[in-house]
Amino acid sequence: MGLPDASGDLSLEMEVDAFRRLFPLRFYERHLAESIRPDGRPLGSARETSIAPGAVASADGSALAKIGSTTMLAAIKMEVMTPTIELPDEGCIAVDFHMPPICSPIVRPGRPSEAVPVVSTTLSDSISSSGMINLKELSLVSGKAAWMAYLDIYCLDADGAPFDAALLSAVAACSHLQIPAVSLNDDGKIVVVSEEDGGKLDKEHVNREKRKLTLRSIPFSLTCILHKNYILADPTAQEESIMETVVTVVLDSSSHLISLYKPGRAVLASTSAVQDCIALTRQRVRELLKILDEANSSMEVDKV
Amino acid sequence: MAGRPGTNQTSYSPSLKTQKGRPPIFKDGDTDWVRPDGRGFHQCRPAFIRTGAVNAASGSAYAEFGNTKVIVSVFGPRESKKAMMYSDIGRLNCNVSYTTFATPVRSQGSDHKEFSSMLHKALEGAVILETFPKTTVDVFALVLESGGSDLPVVISCASLALADAGILMYDLVASVSLSCLGKNLVIDPILEEESYQDGSLMVTFMPSRYEVTQLTVTGEWSTPKINEGMQLCLDACSKLAKIMRSCLKEATTTSQE
Amino acid sequence: MEIDRVDGRTANQLRPLACSRSVLNRAHGSASWSQGDTKVLAGVYGPKAGTKKNENPEKTCIEVIWKPCTGQIGGTIKPLVALFLTNKFDGIWDIIFTLKLKGNPEKEYEMIVKRTLQSICILTIHPNTTISVIVQVVSDDGSVSFMLLPCAINAACAALVDAGIPLKHLAVAICCCLAESGYVILDPTKLEEQKMKAFTYLVFPNSILSGLTEGSLKMEGEPMEHAIITSVTRGAMSVDDYLHCLERGRAASAKMSAFLRRSLQPQVSTDSSKAG
Repeated sequence: MGLPDASGDLSLEMEVDAFRRLFPLRFYERHLAESIRPDGRPLGSARETSIAPGAVASADGSALAKIGSTTMLAAIKMEVMTPTIELPDEGCIAVDFHMPPICSPIVRPGRPSEAVPVVSTTLSDSISSSGMINLKELSLVSGKAAWMAYLDIYCLDADGAPFDAALLSAVAACSHLQIPAVSLNDDGKIVVVSEEDGGKLDKEHVNREKRKLTLRSIPFSLTCILHKNYILADPTAQEESIMETVVTVVLDSSSHLISLYKPGRAVLASTSAVQDCIALTRQRVRELLKILDEANSSMEVDKV
Repeated sequence: MAGRPGTNQTSYSPSLKTQKGRPPIFKDGDTDWVRPDGRGFHQCRPAFIRTGAVNAASGSAYAEFGNTKVIVSVFGPRESKKAMMYSDIGRLNCNVSYTTFATPVRSQGSDHKEFSSMLHKALEGAVILETFPKTTVDVFALVLESGGSDLPVVISCASLALADAGILMYDLVASVSLSCLGKNLVIDPILEEESYQDGSLMVTFMPSRYEVTQLTVTGEWSTPKINEGMQLCLDACSKLAKIMRSCLKEATTTSQE
Repeated sequence: MEIDRVDGRTANQLRPLACSRSVLNRAHGSASWSQGDTKVLAGVYGPKAGTKKNENPEKTCIEVIWKPCTGQIGGTIKPLVALFLTNKFDGIWDIIFTLKLKGNPEKEYEMIVKRTLQSICILTIHPNTTISVIVQVVSDDGSVSFMLLPCAINAACAALVDAGIPLKHLAVAICCCLAESGYVILDPTKLEEQKMKAFTYLVFPNSILSGLTEGSLKMEGEPMEHAIITSVTRGAMSVDDYLHCLERGRAASAKMSAFLRRSLQPQVSTDSSKAG
């Protein structure tokens, strides 16, 4: 905001790179007026997105999601717990989001980024309120044992819109999850049926075969930047640092609104801006569903 | 929001506890057994290494040795912590942490203090600290999956990340470990072998200077055995360093094109 | 269709509001805000010199500290330690895990309040300074402390006015709830909130009384006070339901901003008479 006139004149003489560094906001606004972003994207389109299921062999389900260079690794480990008295037929899912110091120059060991709690709660909320996972499917023995699914998401590279990539990797990990075959042993504990003695021992099988979860409505999200009257979908870290106001919309595959998160900051969202963000998210949900389906089907081909 | 975790619920992993005693394949004196992954005793796991894994960092590398998967990011040289005293030479700050799902049984994914200081000691001798006085270079490692020989992989990967960040070093540091199982020496052990080992040896080595930066020995070793083990490790380190060097060269040629 | 509310309110009716300023002596500005049985106290200190690390030094940095009414954040530590002593050592990680989780929601509220206040403050007037806002929950009618957010934002906003921090406009926060039947009620109590399938918190700017022409205060053909500063939702709902909540919240926010203005005005005049 400082010196609009001075920068306007200087831009004619200055080198592009110097102008970009000195007047980042002006630099962006020049591009926005032409309906393009410095990385060549139109305003409403997201970066290239890919999913790699099964990235970690030590987990029961895992996936690596990449949106531009923002990279997230999600993995699920299944443990057994005693269900609560109120809900004896339900398992539980615990979502945790981590930003280890490797992902960004801002995070230092022992000092987590302030974005972590927000992403963490919004993630676990989106997963529970979309009803994607039927917690009854996680039950083993009614009132005695149920699965506790620990879903941990690690940010490996932070370059804007961390929530979108985190949710995508979490969803992909859930669709990759294989619930192990288990049986009840003599001590009343649940143990994994190992490949060799599968069938031989006549233990009580609780879950005879490895199985997948049936995912009902799957949540997907899109983060947008609001700047003046422009809406920029899927911002990079640099865009987020220059134009601060973000809106994150989470919609599930049956078009229910799971979350509309706009935490303050300078720009106000008019009703039409909110509707535009929702429309952009609808479009993005279709894209992401396709990407997820492709990733899962290529995974199955690999197995055969 | 039903069922939040934590509140006095304890859960356990259903995977079978590792059997007590030694499984038959690792019998003493019996030289006919095969390693669980079918390798020869003196054969390392296939290594996949790549630089530039994390865009947000000044330099980074990803390494995958069998099931051991590690990412290392290097930040800096940047301003030292305010509390630090003035220093003529640069500082190296190392941190190694594990993901919660890295180990077979879920852990809390906390920092690994011991590995952090080992990594620091292994790299300290190779980095030319005089080139960045008053500042700090941060080396952060995250073990995505632990499949045995974690520390040597972290060290090799970290030296590659330092090179990628353009930090001056005397040489690349390659690291290999070795387990003693009965009468046999197995190089680059996997998690299962490590849990049955009688002794271990880890060497971090700068091949072009023929200098060892760190040497760790545990267990009981006879002199001829340690000589043999040392020679095996040094050879493996030299080979690994060649792969690392070609990885760096590849990265620069592709970026120039 | 009508919905019966336990306390006999209509769907659009808010709980009785109360606001008082300058309730603390030492703070540079303070206010208490209550809605029914929920009460929040906010204190403002600053602007003091310097910003925190990783903040833009060209602007004022706002720091929000959330104090829950149970005292310490690790309020559950006692029973857990007892459990740890009587049980086995395996439990230690669960204790630490629980404590970590306890801290999470507060951090999130701090973030939301902070970002909302950043929106209403004129941050460029005092560069390289920090304003601390301490939000103390006094009594809590909502079952989850999440329900306190609107109350906390209103209290913080009044406290900023009391401290004389330059603001663009005021903010009013409101909670809308969506019942299973698709019916929307405002400002729910603890009992009501448990029956709801989804809720939304909305923060609107208040209407500005100024000499500026009508047109300059409009955004895309809408008056500025219709735009939202903050929106947080919990639970699934259809997009139309959300827009309906938005409309209802907006209507109620006009009443609230009138109340806020009323409760802040008389004190301003007494202040100036004192000065004179």
